[in-house]
Amino acid sequence: MSVSKIKIDKELLKKAREHAAKAGYTSVEEFVSHIIEKEISKAEESESEEEVKKRLKGLGYIS
Amino acid sequence: MDNTITIVSGLPRSGTSMMMQILEYGGMKVVTDNIRKANEDNPHGYYEYEKVKEIKEDTGWLKEARGKAFKMVSQLLYDLPSNENYKVIFMKRKMNEILASQSKMLERMGGSKDDTSDEKMGEFFNKHLLKITDWIEGRKYIDVLYIDYNDLLTNPDEHIKTLNRFLNYKLNEGKAVEVIDKSLYRNR
Repeated sequence: MSVSKIKIDKELLKKAREHAAKAGYTSVEEFVSHIIEKEISKAEESESEEEVKKRLKGLGYIS
Repeated sequence: MDNTITIVSGLPRSGTSMMMQILEYGGMKVVTDNIRKANEDNPHGYYEYEKVKEIKEDTGWLKEARGKAFKMVSQLLYDLPSNENYKVIFMKRKMNEILASQSKMLERMGGSKDDTSDEKMGEFFNKHLLKITDWIEGRKYIDVLYIDYNDLLTNPDEHIKTLNRFLNYKLNEGKAVEVIDKSLYRNR
């Protein structure tokens, strides 16, 4: 897996480290990656649902 | 008296109208208003009931549907109140056929097709189907029977028997199966 660095506010990083440790993540990187994946999945889900609704509306099956 | 509400559901163009016709010919009472008239896409009618679309706001009409059957697109199943008992006949069909048929219908309706490609739309619909299937499984007040449209056309007798068992033998199987024979003739 290739990795890239991102910049993050020091205070936020400190909080993220603390939370990652409390929540049982092996590293802050794992915690941040998990949060990003979760958010992307949520956004994709929402897009998917909206597209389904749009199609059903277009076909006259929902109002 | 049987108070169970029978619902024919699935994605648009998955064979839900044909299933409604099967139920009607088989002797079940169906709830429909015939507002959307039969046309080239559904020559035997759409078997729709406009109030179904407003289920989020108004569920009062559901009482009248007890012991009868109506059609409801799968997305609206989420809005069914839990104080009734339902038997859901969920139609499934090959996704490429569903999408092709929807495209034709949208063209005939004169509306513009949305920008989403069939490939993407298929993905979205598949996600929706997984989610709604999972949701149904967790609802004690919903009893479900999945019927594959393509398979129904190939093995009508077997599926009508299963359907009749699911509906506590309310159907005249001979009459019900005639609908599929006619449909096969139309699709030759």
